[in-house]
Amino acid sequence: MNRFVPDMSDEPSVELNGVSLHYDTSDEILTDINVRLKPGSFTFLTGASGAGKSSLLKLLYLAHAPSQGEVRLFGLPTMTLSRKQLSALRRRIGVVFQDFRLLEHLSAFENVALPLRVSGKKEETYREEVVDLLRWVGLGERIHALPPAMSGGEQQRLSIARALINKPDLLIADEPTGNVDPEMGRRIFRLFVELNRRLNTTIIIATHDLGLIREFDAPVLQLQNGLMVHGHEEQAAR
Amino acid sequence: MSKPTPLLPESDAREAALFFVVAALCFLAVLATLTARGTYTAAEAWSAQVEGQMTVRVENTDRRGAEEAATAVRDLEGIKSASVLSEEELDRLLTPSFGPGGVPDGVPLPMLIAVETTLQSPATPDDINKVLEEAGFTAVTEAHADYAAEARRALGTLRIAAIGVVVLLAATAIAVIAFATHAALLARKDIVDVLHLAGAEDSFIARLFERRFWTLGLKAGAAGSVAALAVTAMVIFSAQSAGARSQLLPQLSLDFWDFAILAITPVAAGLAARVAAGGTVNHSLKAVL
Repeated sequence: MNRFVPDMSDEPSVELNGVSLHYDTSDEILTDINVRLKPGSFTFLTGASGAGKSSLLKLLYLAHAPSQGEVRLFGLPTMTLSRKQLSALRRRIGVVFQDFRLLEHLSAFENVALPLRVSGKKEETYREEVVDLLRWVGLGERIHALPPAMSGGEQQRLSIARALINKPDLLIADEPTGNVDPEMGRRIFRLFVELNRRLNTTIIIATHDLGLIREFDAPVLQLQNGLMVHGHEEQAAR
Repeated sequence: MSKPTPLLPESDAREAALFFVVAALCFLAVLATLTARGTYTAAEAWSAQVEGQMTVRVENTDRRGAEEAATAVRDLEGIKSASVLSEEELDRLLTPSFGPGGVPDGVPLPMLIAVETTLQSPATPDDINKVLEEAGFTAVTEAHADYAAEARRALGTLRIAAIGVVVLLAATAIAVIAFATHAALLARKDIVDVLHLAGAEDSFIARLFERRFWTLGLKAGAAGSVAALAVTAMVIFSAQSAGARSQLLPQLSLDFWDFAILAITPVAAGLAARVAAGGTVNHSLKAVL
């Protein structure tokens, strides 16, 4: 499937129906969440610390299963998929973490190539593509650098490149500007907007940077104590 | 194009400790196997040697009477040879009791006939006693195989014990590797999480750990085998040096099967490590979505 072709189906990219989450004996972290995100939509997820933003994102990038309710991605019910199908689904999702989660013993090139390598592709088939992407995020000169030798901004752009290399249908970013200066934060957001426009990638970004939310004027989902208090209606494509 | 960097970082101190433990377990397992095999082989050789041999003690007679008794025994069916032991032979047999000076003069020596039976339809001690009784002799016949049977029973128990030790060591090695893999998995959870979220299948992640631990098991097993070979060679060398006064030790040597055990151990250790690692990783990954 060519991922550059926008998904024209009516199926939402993300659909949460009555989703609740709690860990073992803990209190409920998310309560009765209902969200539908159309393909190609750009959405902010906001809320105070501890509101449940990261937990909601973990459900979306399939790190956790909901305690109750249903998570559907690209029309697929995630709870009934086999482990192989879940792995295949994860390859359609790019994730950018606040703490980058780069593999420190791998070079910038190898970190970006990781999703392709784990899917069994040979380096000769993706080398050019990875180098192009590194150039696009402004790391063309840092291909062989190891993450510990890179600045916070460079590491964040590297983690974005890794999230994008598979041309994901859904990009999830958890506080992507939390560890970079405001100017770098704006550059990263412009990168996301460009990606959304060029590839029609569905993007959901968790942030509490209200300045950026105002500047980029996109629909906002707001969580408060595990409840969706704003924007739970269907999000429209930009 | 350079070789890609391994997704799991190079081995750390924990793996060095595990290498030592697996090597030590393999060393002990190989040593236990070789010792059991060596002892059993020596005992088998000794048993085969004494099988069919008997000693007849002829009472209240002189050498001439003993020669007559030996002739009577020789005429019996199922007898290969029968000869009266000379004084020199008796001296040699009694050396452990009387020392190299031999039996002191005046000590009465029994008249002994060394008998060897045929392999097919051998004569029994009862047959010999009966024929000698009919010839007017009082004699007691002892089959050496009776002693060999006792030794065989003891060595059979030793073999079972050795197999038990090897199984226990192998199980310990597998348990240690499974524990170490679990610890390695926890220590590298960050890497496993990233691989998982990047879309790696469980089998892909398991293979990384399987490869790592297969190599570790192979190398540790080889180290253990080489150490066991060195110790065994030393034991054989010492045994052969002291061989002149020993009945069993000179028979110790390494045969094809001993070398096969030494060669197979690293592969077995590698496979055990690989299976333990794969099982642990797959089990751990199934606990997460």
